[in-house]
Amino acid sequence: MTITATLEVFRCAPGGVDGRFESYDVTVHDNATVLDAIEAVWANHDRSLVFRHACHHASCGSCGVLVNGSEVLPCIVDLADALRQRSPVRVEPLRNLPLAGDLVVDVTGFFERMLASTMSITRTAEDALPLDADDDGGRSQAVSVPDGLARFNRFENCVECGICISACPTMATDERFRGPAMLAALGRARAESADPQQREHLLDLADGEHGVWRCHSSWECTQRCPQQVDPAESIMEQRREILRRRFRRRVR
Amino acid sequence: MSRARVIVIGAGSTGAATAHDLALRGVDVIVVERGEVASGTTGRNHCLLHSGGRYCVNDEEAGIECIDENLTLRRIMPDLLELNDGLFVATDEADRAYMDTFLEACARCHIPARELSRAQALEAEPFLTPDVLAAVQVPDGVFEPFRFCLAFLATARANGAQVRTFTEVTDLATSDGFVSGVEVVDRRTGRSETLGADLVINAGGPWAEHLASMADVDVPVSPTPGVMVTVGRRLANMVINRCNVPSDGDIVVPQRTTSIIGTTSWSVDDPDHIPIPSDHVDRMMTRGRSLIPEVASTPIRGVMAVARPLISKPGVDARDVSRTFECFDHKADGIEGFVTISGGKTTTARAMAEKVSDIVCGKLGSTAECRTSEVPLVSYRRFYL
Repeated sequence: MTITATLEVFRCAPGGVDGRFESYDVTVHDNATVLDAIEAVWANHDRSLVFRHACHHASCGSCGVLVNGSEVLPCIVDLADALRQRSPVRVEPLRNLPLAGDLVVDVTGFFERMLASTMSITRTAEDALPLDADDDGGRSQAVSVPDGLARFNRFENCVECGICISACPTMATDERFRGPAMLAALGRARAESADPQQREHLLDLADGEHGVWRCHSSWECTQRCPQQVDPAESIMEQRREILRRRFRRRVR
Repeated sequence: MSRARVIVIGAGSTGAATAHDLALRGVDVIVVERGEVASGTTGRNHCLLHSGGRYCVNDEEAGIECIDENLTLRRIMPDLLELNDGLFVATDEADRAYMDTFLEACARCHIPARELSRAQALEAEPFLTPDVLAAVQVPDGVFEPFRFCLAFLATARANGAQVRTFTEVTDLATSDGFVSGVEVVDRRTGRSETLGADLVINAGGPWAEHLASMADVDVPVSPTPGVMVTVGRRLANMVINRCNVPSDGDIVVPQRTTSIIGTTSWSVDDPDHIPIPSDHVDRMMTRGRSLIPEVASTPIRGVMAVARPLISKPGVDARDVSRTFECFDHKADGIEGFVTISGGKTTTARAMAEKVSDIVCGKLGSTAECRTSEVPLVSYRRFYL
């Protein structure tokens, strides 16, 4: 079984030059995702289309775009669902990042911030199970780690997709804003660190006029995050911690 | 004397590791990749850091390659691996009988293996089918293929390599039986140019045959796709394998908060866009459920298919083709300056790179030795800086 859909895809040269929408009619298998449809545009209609993608299962974070105006990882959005929302399906690059061509954005500044956050993509400070608190029949309570397995690493939930940067209204008004991804990463790195000096340094990075205080608390980042990272709550937690620190210094 | 220049076509795991190896040996490297890093076969792989357990019985060479590389990767990219081990699970008498063969094969391939009783297996993996009779624990792991490639390429760049993504090879520059470079187009700007080189390496994976045809040579790569289904919940600590000969849907790889069930195997001519057969998805869910019943009530999060670049052997079924790799010096086809590396696994990418780089350096008259098994990689994030 197949479905046929019209895609309105944003096309541009680097820097957003000559930006326009072009329409493509694609026929794909009926369980196709929006990313499959984008790939079909490239494979069958227009070989000049550029887009980022790698894992096709929401793990690499490279394919983030706007579908019908909302930030998503198109590899986990059913084309049929997107079509029900709007036809033709509209596909655009993420906002608040420089346009590098068609659906590709320049992620240099984004990864500079993520590197500065020092957050590791794997981590050790999480129990093996439960991984999802709801409805496991209590079985996860019984989990223990046998000999030789006490060295589990866990991948960080944040996939560095930039969706929160695109969704953030503050990011649109202050390009020096560190942004929800970096601020959440700073919070995560600080929670992982046992070194008091490093923890202070990470909190310093989150502080300041382009840091946690710039956030307008719209919670769009948390709402759009495909990985339930909750940057907004992390920003609020770091604000509280900075205030506690100021108070402690004052009464010392 | 100017440094030798090598162009690597393809920024999947093989091309990325090869660029890193050659850059460390002082070669001037340019990587050209038509899409994003890992946008072909590597990106859509199973994320499994092989212990060699899946191959050791029928393909000892691939099994040994896997465990050797598994241990090496733990040294050079420790922050990119989830070292959660793997479990080979017997659920019926046939599996149980296979387990002895499996344990012997692990011993032959020096893969550490430990037998678990039914009770121990269920204690370690509470979502495992209650039909489990016994299990064997091996040092499998999980990685993320995209960042795996970025780390190799970021390190290559730190050592002077250039990496050009969204740059497609449109032709090979050939003259008098020599490949002297590549013609490329930057797909973002539409600009074409010719890049000269002393040697060109074809690391195009399932596209290797197409690339080689530009120099009128043939490489026996058969694009062999597999379907993988990701469900939206993590249902295991370890990688769960069925303890039997490899077949469809016999492995569940936990990654982050998801579980990836795989895989199937069929052949295609064109690896560019592979429609996913619905019945393959259903089969993955059914087979996955027989290992972990909870799969049945977990929503599907993603479905992917991509072609493996298996080296085809006449009369051999794809499931039985060795997962080891091969390097083709096209001097044998009358073409100088052109080498293809294909087959293999992402887990063995570093070893593949070592082999092809040895051959390439030999051809270029360089005596520099491989250092990739000792040099830790820089942060993958530096690729974009």
